[in-house]
Amino acid sequence: MKKILNNPADYVDEMLEGMVAAHPGTYAQPVRRVIARAAGAKKGKVGIVTGGGSGHLPIFTGYVGTGLLDACAIGDVFASPSAEQMAEAIRLADGGAGVLRLYGNYGGDVMNFDMAGEMAEMEHDIRTTTVLLTDDVVSAPKEEAEKRRGVAGMVYAFKIAGAAAERGDDLDEVTRIAQITADACRSIGMALTPCTIPQAGKPTFEIGETEMEMGMGIHGEPGIWRDAIKPADEIAEEMLERLMADQPLAKGDRISILVNSLGATPAEELYILYRHARKKLDALGVEIVMPLVGRYATSMEMTGATITVIKLDEELESLLKAPAECAFWRV
Amino acid sequence: MISSKTLSAALARIASHTEAASEELCSADGALGDGDLGITVSKGFAEAAATDLPEDIGMALLAIAKAFQRVSSSSYGTLLATGFMAAAKMEKGKTKIDPAGIPGLVAAARDAMMARGKGHLGDKTVLDSLDAVANALDHAPLEEMINVAIAAAAETAEQYRGKPNKLGRARMFGERSIGLLDPGQLAFLRIVEALRA
Repeated sequence: MKKILNNPADYVDEMLEGMVAAHPGTYAQPVRRVIARAAGAKKGKVGIVTGGGSGHLPIFTGYVGTGLLDACAIGDVFASPSAEQMAEAIRLADGGAGVLRLYGNYGGDVMNFDMAGEMAEMEHDIRTTTVLLTDDVVSAPKEEAEKRRGVAGMVYAFKIAGAAAERGDDLDEVTRIAQITADACRSIGMALTPCTIPQAGKPTFEIGETEMEMGMGIHGEPGIWRDAIKPADEIAEEMLERLMADQPLAKGDRISILVNSLGATPAEELYILYRHARKKLDALGVEIVMPLVGRYATSMEMTGATITVIKLDEELESLLKAPAECAFWRV
Repeated sequence: MISSKTLSAALARIASHTEAASEELCSADGALGDGDLGITVSKGFAEAAATDLPEDIGMALLAIAKAFQRVSSSSYGTLLATGFMAAAKMEKGKTKIDPAGIPGLVAAARDAMMARGKGHLGDKTVLDSLDAVANALDHAPLEEMINVAIAAAAETAEQYRGKPNKLGRARMFGERSIGLLDPGQLAFLRIVEALRA
């Protein structure tokens, strides 16, 4: 393992300490492993919390900020935070108007967040709702879409639900909009090389020097095929085809697209993927709104990319374009 | 009537009894899983016993659930915490548990744990033990409750010994799990045994 760290056991805590120290106007860590807005919960505003394992920056903690999230519970690398930390995040996010739990569909996270919601309700009388991201089309067939994992679609959900909460929508409305957003997102990933969890010290999977894996999950979950690496255009083509097989796109549709690096893949290569995606969507007559290209949801130093497409209606589009700011992203 | 004080004393007894049974539980678990169940259970009850419980019995049960969550993030720990949480919701605002309500609390814990763990009765899990105890307590005279619960938990463990595990990691062992006590059911038996002063 070759990593910049002190002690693997301190990896997450030292990362959070540094992040808060670098951006004191944006983040605060009032409770260990819970990041909240530096300014605290906004009175009368619906709170939005998320949570999950470390190792995915800017997901999850990075998106705490104006027009985005209010608080986030963070676990060890690729491990769920505890229910108690999640309950603390809910408490810190509460401005008296209730709290939406908005996160990716992973077994451990769901169990703990459900528990956290019950705790917050009992102890602090906070009303909570849940919306889960299930955007990874490879992780389960369409008939079992509710079993799919949540990946980079979270970025859109945080942005759009965050904007709804910021403009003063009530909890039911923010929840409704978050659910529509989650339902409109489809993602797929591909990987070239694995990453190493500091405390494990070994790569999360093995792959041949010249191979790629189509459809691989962000923690190295198995994908659709593994073979010799293909040219970028063919990769982009197949990824879009697979997304469109799940959610057809037609002339006149308005979408946003996120071409995301899993960590080590440079922006240059993301733009090569985007170039082909753009051509293909132009040819179909699909309108692209606010394309996002960069590092939005990563898996440490994994090499690879994900593509997310969200189908927009007028309301989602205006919320997507509303102002937002965190240390990693500004709209 | 059961107050927070009675509850604390019971937790301390369970903590020491499960600590003594820790090796037995770890080895039962090692045959079908990762072999740390004895530690999960004894650590969880030790933490709960060391927690200062509030007088509101609902909040006391919540504090127990949180103690479990704090020290053990294993699925058994989360399930027990879920059970305590279900009982907590029913008792919030009271300072004493009426023993006549206990079968209802056990049943509520069973239902919440089934929902959270996505488990079914007959899967050979702790859910079967809870179900048997809830049903047996329904007709038990108050002074016999603990003995009835112990007998039901013991019978369940023995009855399922001859069946295969159908949930969680133990499920992978399929037919090979026949003849083995389910570690979760065994742990539940040790927990209930400790209630006998």
